[in-house]
Amino acid sequence: MLLVLLIIIPIIGALFSCFSRNRTINVPFITSAIVFMMTTFGLKGVFMGEPITYRIPLSGPFVPTFRADPLSVIFVILAAFLWLVVSIYAPKYMKHEGKYKLFDICTLVTLAAVLGVFMAGDMLTLLLFFELMTLASYFWVIHQWNRNAIKAGNFYLFYSITGGLILALGIVLLGTVLGGLPAIGTGSIVYLDSKVSGWGIALLVVGFGIKAGMAPLHIWLPHAHSAAPTPGSALLSGLLIKVGAYGLIRVGEFAGWGMVLESGYGWFGLLLVVVGICTMLTGVLAALLQSNAKRLLAYHSVSQMGYVILGLGLGLYLGSEGGLGLMGSIYHIVNHALFKTALFLGVGIIYINTGETNLYKLGGLWRRFPITAVLMLLAALGITGAPGLNGYASKTVLHHAVSMAAESGTPLMVWAERLFVVVGIGTAASFAKLYYLMFLGKPTKLKISNNRALSMKWAIGLLALVMVTIGLFPRLLLNVAVIPAAGYLGLKNAADTLAHISFWNSKDLLSMFVTLIAGVLVCWAGLRSGVFHWNIPAWLTLEGLSNMVRQGFSALWRIGVVLCRNAVSAIAAASKKAVTKLFLVERRFKKAGGGRIGWVTLTGIGADAALLIGALVILIVWYTLINPSLPGVKLPTFMTLFKIF
Amino acid sequence: LLDLILALSGGLIGGLVVAMMPRAGNRIRSITVSAFSILTIVFSWRVALKVFGGESVRLAGEIGGLSWSLDPDPLGAVFGLIASTLWLFAAVYSFGYMSGKHNQRAYYTFFLISLSMTLGVAFSGNLVALYLFYELLTFSTYPLVIHERSPEAVKAGSKYIIYNLSGAGAILIGIVVTYSWAGNLNFSYGPILAESQGQGLNWLLLLFVAGFGVKSAIMPLHRWLPSAMAAPTPVSALLHAVAVVYSGAYGILRVVYSVFGHELVRSLNILNIIPWIIAFTILAGVIIAVKQDVLKRRLAYQTISHISYILLGAFTLQPWGLAGAVMHMICYSALKITLFFCAGIIAEKTGQIKVSGMEGIGWALPGTMVAFSIGALGMVGMLPLSTFWGKYYLMKGSIEGGIWPMALVLIGSGIINAVCFIPLIIKAFRGKRLQSTPEMESRFTVMLAPTLTLTAVSIIIGLIPGVVWPGVQAVVDWFF
Repeated sequence: MLLVLLIIIPIIGALFSCFSRNRTINVPFITSAIVFMMTTFGLKGVFMGEPITYRIPLSGPFVPTFRADPLSVIFVILAAFLWLVVSIYAPKYMKHEGKYKLFDICTLVTLAAVLGVFMAGDMLTLLLFFELMTLASYFWVIHQWNRNAIKAGNFYLFYSITGGLILALGIVLLGTVLGGLPAIGTGSIVYLDSKVSGWGIALLVVGFGIKAGMAPLHIWLPHAHSAAPTPGSALLSGLLIKVGAYGLIRVGEFAGWGMVLESGYGWFGLLLVVVGICTMLTGVLAALLQSNAKRLLAYHSVSQMGYVILGLGLGLYLGSEGGLGLMGSIYHIVNHALFKTALFLGVGIIYINTGETNLYKLGGLWRRFPITAVLMLLAALGITGAPGLNGYASKTVLHHAVSMAAESGTPLMVWAERLFVVVGIGTAASFAKLYYLMFLGKPTKLKISNNRALSMKWAIGLLALVMVTIGLFPRLLLNVAVIPAAGYLGLKNAADTLAHISFWNSKDLLSMFVTLIAGVLVCWAGLRSGVFHWNIPAWLTLEGLSNMVRQGFSALWRIGVVLCRNAVSAIAAASKKAVTKLFLVERRFKKAGGGRIGWVTLTGIGADAALLIGALVILIVWYTLINPSLPGVKLPTFMTLFKIF
Repeated sequence: LLDLILALSGGLIGGLVVAMMPRAGNRIRSITVSAFSILTIVFSWRVALKVFGGESVRLAGEIGGLSWSLDPDPLGAVFGLIASTLWLFAAVYSFGYMSGKHNQRAYYTFFLISLSMTLGVAFSGNLVALYLFYELLTFSTYPLVIHERSPEAVKAGSKYIIYNLSGAGAILIGIVVTYSWAGNLNFSYGPILAESQGQGLNWLLLLFVAGFGVKSAIMPLHRWLPSAMAAPTPVSALLHAVAVVYSGAYGILRVVYSVFGHELVRSLNILNIIPWIIAFTILAGVIIAVKQDVLKRRLAYQTISHISYILLGAFTLQPWGLAGAVMHMICYSALKITLFFCAGIIAEKTGQIKVSGMEGIGWALPGTMVAFSIGALGMVGMLPLSTFWGKYYLMKGSIEGGIWPMALVLIGSGIINAVCFIPLIIKAFRGKRLQSTPEMESRFTVMLAPTLTLTAVSIIIGLIPGVVWPGVQAVVDWFF
């Protein structure tokens, strides 16, 4: 009952803000505060004992089921916390953007939908809330309602619709294999014994992958995330893409965490590793070239989701030893949500005071925004993985997982480890660039308004507090939440695998410092040489490529349409001609009581009779051709086609 | 039994009553029409409940040596319920749409008579009755198609008659052949042709599919449907998106499950071809729809595509596929009629029938555009809307029936449907804000009310498909 209540509260809030005239009370804040309290106190017991399940008492083919196990509770609390923070931040910011009422309603509906996704007990309930989430968050993307926002919105909507349909088909396939609705969190494993189950899993991965920004399906993400108003972008990047990752973890459940080698999904883990690495690289390379701060952050969301996907892939690939990968992923999801939200909110503060997100037009802002500069420094260090902040903790776990896989000596995994380090350097470089261009460097010539928005800084401060806490006590969250979650998903030895890792050993610390310094050097080199201004040729970007493919297709399509049209009109003309001729012949026959058709002369016979005779002759020939009774006459192959009838 | 007779004759009597009131004012006529529609709904509900309860409601007789019978089974009951319920909505919408238009008496007369004929098709118990009402439906809707009397409408009317009568001719030949092979035309004793065998059955099935396919607008035989959009909007909405095309689809469901039986059809070779024709219709219809500029024509081509979903469900020959077909029949009709209603409101309010001229109308007609957007999402098949369930079970059926490419066709069609509608909706909210008289003018309130009600119903069914599931379940149990 509590689970349904949690979903209903934001919807009541949405209705309330829909009908309230003035904006004296901050409805999203109150609602998300209530939800946050209820989740932390009401669902805390899930980590210790049994999961909660609730079925809505309905009959029929679809009974929405809700369920909270440790994994979903992690996500639910994370969502409630982020919404709380953003709703502290949003009122001041939305005064600048306008249309705050629509924004509030969408924010609350999205909260309800997100909670629904995390607490769904079967795949169809999950899909229901997933689609609702897409629709509600679409209004964030199109908030500004200009050409740019609409284009971004179209990207978002079409990718999401396609994803939703693909998910539906995946659910159908899994349901066929399992013989019922695929339930979540009950440990029902789909053994890979038929094509159907393999395709089902693959389709689900694609469907959730679109939401998670998995390369090459990430094209919508930078557009959508940079077009939304900042609180919206923060939640899109902070939480909504994690919904895709959550889905992937649940799909992994069908593949069987911790027992992959038996269930036959080794290839699946490997595939996820490769996709994860590609996503990391694409995101970080594209991010280095961006000049718009919000787009840079959006591409970093892609790259960081690559870490998560890589971790999941490793979890599946390593089988029963894969605890590190899975736990690293879950941990990184939480951490990324915190620092990415903080970064977006920080950029938002700069944006409403300067009206600019182009990094090359900003600079030297630390004098004017000292507190924001400090908070942003913390967040940027967090995402680059500096020790003492939360990014370090989860990246270390993931790094250990990669090293463990690399020890097996497979060339792919060895390269995965090397690329892991490269992406780390790239991340450090692009955030050094962001920070340098925004807060250090030459002071900007832009006119700066001084909005003393304390609530906005409080919001980021709250995030920074949690980040520092996690960074200083990396084991706290792991022990309380992540280990039970992994254990519940099927990795019973999760705690043991983590026990070997010490977060404060010199090797990891040193490598992180080296990464940071290398990143700063790369950034310096890039800024000096102007590489960051490089415009990628169209054929190298996915968008350009898909555009070219689309143009090719539409050209082919046009040719096809013209051919078809010509063929149809030719047939029509021919048949018209034949009919006219027939009428002429008939008239001639009627007049003369006979006549000539070609070289055959007929007398004393009507044209209709002649037609009938002709038809009969054709039929006889047809039948003798397709039913040869003569010995030795072999039917031509194309004739067998007609024999179907 | 009385229920059955009353349900069938309600529309007919109502039509005659309206015809005999030449001087009646709008108000009295509206009351008469709604009274008879509601009566029909009540009695068809009573019939349907009896049928679902397992009772037999049978009415039989003989004309000229041919025995006919009315003996609804669950499938017929579901179709009858859809038709009679939506008729009321269309009637209410017509009160708004037709007020101030010419020749309303003829309009409402034939409007009600065709309700009777549709219910006749639905409740028929053998092929003779089915054929009879099927033909009568064509004739009773012809006056509605040419209601505008413009040259375009008359031409559309001729096309309508020629196409549909040729189709009916094919069906008649099929019925004769069936009778000569089986000696019996009743649906109620299981599949008519269950005992037959031979290659000729392939041809017979093709003949039936071609015959009923004219009304359900399978791709080479679809040309009459877009041109019949010359009719007034409520007629296009009801007849050419729901009742007439559904009677074609219903005929094919009947042929597959009552005349041949799914086991026999499964053994026929022609099953290798028909699903592909249907898949072609599904994709080509919606692709052509994207290119149409006149909104009603766009909706018409989309109808062509969506009616084939039902046929696809019929030809999966699986319980889930049949469930999907029936579910799609129920859910799709409500949403499609909503879309047509919206097109009608837009045309009446702003005079704009072309998609290219729709900039800014969203601000003038917010309620209409919201309903339109919901309908459009329904066409895509997104989850909070009822059409998802039809699509879901159709996909399940095609996977289990071993024709998995059809599942991909359904997905593709969903995406192209999005391409078809979403740019339109965005366009409606762009550009200059169109100022106009408020949407809630009395006449438009009457038009908007059924539209919004139907959207709400679709969302409810989408969230709780259990509402309509007993009907679907009954149909599936009946045939499998």
